[in-house]
Amino acid sequence: MTLEKLILDLTHHIRINKGFLVWMGFLLVSLMVCLYAYSIQLRIGLGVAGIRDYVSWGMYLANFVFFVASSLIGMLISGVLGLIGMKWITPVTRIAETIAVAFAAVAGLVIVSDMGRPERLAYVFLYGRFQSPILWDVTVVITYFVLSSLLLFLPLIADMAIIHRSKQALPSWLRPVYKLLSLNFTDRPEQNKIISRSIRILLILLIPAALSIHTVTSWLFAVTSRAGWDSTIFGPYFVSGAFVAGSATVIIAMFFFRKNYKLQDYLTDLHFTNMGKVLVLVSLVYLYFNLNEFIVPGYKLKRADAVHLHDLLAGKDALLFWVIQIGGLLLPVLFMLFRRFRKPLPITIIAVAVLIAAWFKRYIIVIPTQEHPFLPIQHVPQNFITYAPTLIEILITLAPFILVLIIITLISKFFPVIPLFETAKEKGIEKIEFE
Amino acid sequence: MRCKKQLFLIFILASLIPVRSSAQAWIVPDDQKGKVAPFKFTPVMVKQGEQLYLKNCQSCHGLPGKNNWVRITPPPGDLSLEKAQNQSDGELFYRITNGRIPMPEFRKILSDEERWWLISFLRSFNPRYIQPKPVSQAVFTGKIIQLSLSCDLPSKKVKVMASEALKDSSKIPASGVEVLLFVKRYFGNLQIGDSKSTDKDGIVLFEFPSDLPGDKEGKVEILARVNDPGDQFKSNAVSMKLAIGVPTDKPSLIATKTWWTSRRSAPMWVIMTYSLSVIIVWGFIVYIVYNVLKIRNLNNKPNNQ
Ligand code: HEC
Repeated sequence: MTLEKLILDLTHHIRINKGFLVWMGFLLVSLMVCLYAYSIQLRIGLGVAGIRDYVSWGMYLANFVFFVASSLIGMLISGVLGLIGMKWITPVTRIAETIAVAFAAVAGLVIVSDMGRPERLAYVFLYGRFQSPILWDVTVVITYFVLSSLLLFLPLIADMAIIHRSKQALPSWLRPVYKLLSLNFTDRPEQNKIISRSIRILLILLIPAALSIHTVTSWLFAVTSRAGWDSTIFGPYFVSGAFVAGSATVIIAMFFFRKNYKLQDYLTDLHFTNMGKVLVLVSLVYLYFNLNEFIVPGYKLKRADAVHLHDLLAGKDALLFWVIQIGGLLLPVLFMLFRRFRKPLPITIIAVAVLIAAWFKRYIIVIPTQEHPFLPIQHVPQNFITYAPTLIEILITLAPFILVLIIITLISKFFPVIPLFETAKEKGIEKIEFE
Repeated sequence: MRCKKQLFLIFILASLIPVRSSAQAWIVPDDQKGKVAPFKFTPVMVKQGEQLYLKNCQSCHGLPGKNNWVRITPPPGDLSLEKAQNQSDGELFYRITNGRIPMPEFRKILSDEERWWLISFLRSFNPRYIQPKPVSQAVFTGKIIQLSLSCDLPSKKVKVMASEALKDSSKIPASGVEVLLFVKRYFGNLQIGDSKSTDKDGIVLFEFPSDLPGDKEGKVEILARVNDPGDQFKSNAVSMKLAIGVPTDKPSLIATKTWWTSRRSAPMWVIMTYSLSVIIVWGFIVYIVYNVLKIRNLNNKPNNQ
């Protein structure tokens, strides 16, 4: 394989074609519709959503947990698997980092959708209490976003340097951008040393940062004494669940990039099989935490827990609960144990099921608990007692998904999806001209 | 599943955004509507009413004229606006006295007089308001009862004496007057025991509980008034502060450094842990960014190759 062929393979999708314009147009129009819904909420207030005094954390909060969760995958792939020296992950790393950056960036916005006075966001820092998990949460979300962005950017420097010098056809405005971003990189030892050392520091920082971002998010719930949230294992329960959602997201993204950008030679069956194994592993860990989370309180059945668990396991939320647990966790694990279900198409279908279940899992973690307050309010209207999302709320909940798709589309469309420089070295291409 | 069905329904009936059902009417009995204040409102009362309003009402109703009431259901509303101002003094008095959830009942928290002061304050925002002729004292034909309070500290007995003021300004003991005893607490008054009727000497004795916490010196404010739902008497409430409670000097729950206090009294170790983590991680981030920017210049040095 020659360098020219490699550059061609990994960058031929970097052009503005009709498909891209149609897709972006679709996303932007959808985003406009959702933003219009948000403008109604801004004008009238949070009352346009279904949240009331009982359930004051509705879909927005479930969505927030989901977005934070999905962003954690960057840490698992690059941080954990990378640091222990897994070689096969090279083509997957940038996909995972892109997902991490997109989801982390948007997670910060999701939480704003739940604020009645979003213009007071800065108050969190101006008046935030050091004792409050809310302050910790915003701090770690921002930190994790910055770490992930740097980790996305650093390996791109060499790629930019190669591409902007190559003869590869690029949109004309892109070449100077690449040149700027390549920071005059010419493969000098000093330059490589800075990059590789910075990446190593980032990878090490990324692990505690990612663990804290989701642990703290779980503490937003677990530091209360509400049935269903009052749990000492909420941190690891959330973190393991996050890896499930994130791995599924990566598999889906891999499938689309492979197909649309014709990367069959780089994202091979091996990568899908291995990601399948990763998904099985994290799903089993998650299953284990699920057992703990439900069996232990279910055995003791303290009064409030009993009401909550009954609704969840046998009452009005039971159907949703069991579909999620069986269809989104148990069956996927069973299927993926077989090699034939770890082929690209079947595993992508499984990943979609897992991801949908992951969203609804957040929903039944966040909402049912609040429908059983310890101090019931008297004479409340029916819509306080059971939560039902409104259309406006659903649209506002969709907006972050559209935003994530826009960010991922833009990054993947204008930069190589597969790390070029590293792949070249792994393929034994030694001579790379930088002058 | 309920949710999924709901989503589906909502999509179908896209135009149907749940609208809260309008509240039931809050009806004031006819015989209360015509009630008027027993005195003419004065600027001093308006001022006193304002103080009471800021303490007891602003948290829900906001400041009159500012329309900044709390958005809850049913809406408390701005009391300077027509909806409240078009009502008679009697109607306002009835609502403040009896409340309706979540509007609190102020019957025991504020005296009749204080509730009228509040109305005088609310009316001061209505230029068209003309106060109906007060039902003045002169018209009053019932008995005038005066209470006095005293206390025997060692035996913890509170003595209330009721006397009737006669026309010639002499006094005789008033028997058969029902008296209530309260202790002032943070919000409202705590009744002590049941109401009791005065004996033939116009005296009632209340057993004061031995375990009621007071301030550092054990002081509590006690308050006695006549229970007079039928408005038979004209009477005064009396209060006094005395060291009859259990001295309590617990530091307030927010006086120490704890999880639940304001930022200023956060525990030191929490501040340190948070700040140190932020400083270390962001120190590395700044260090990395600084180094990465150096990459640009490393290229130009001739001695590098
Ligand atoms: C806990 C919140 C709360 C507090 C404190 C409160 N209110 Fe209200 N108030 C309400 C609510 C809610 C309503 C509407 C009740 C309804 O319509 O059922 C209301 C209604 C009223 C009304 C009737 C308004 C109308 O338009 O018919 C008056 C008068 C009133 N309040 C006076 C007061 C005064 C005076 C105070 C202070 C002494 C006070 N309220 C304190 C919540 C409160």
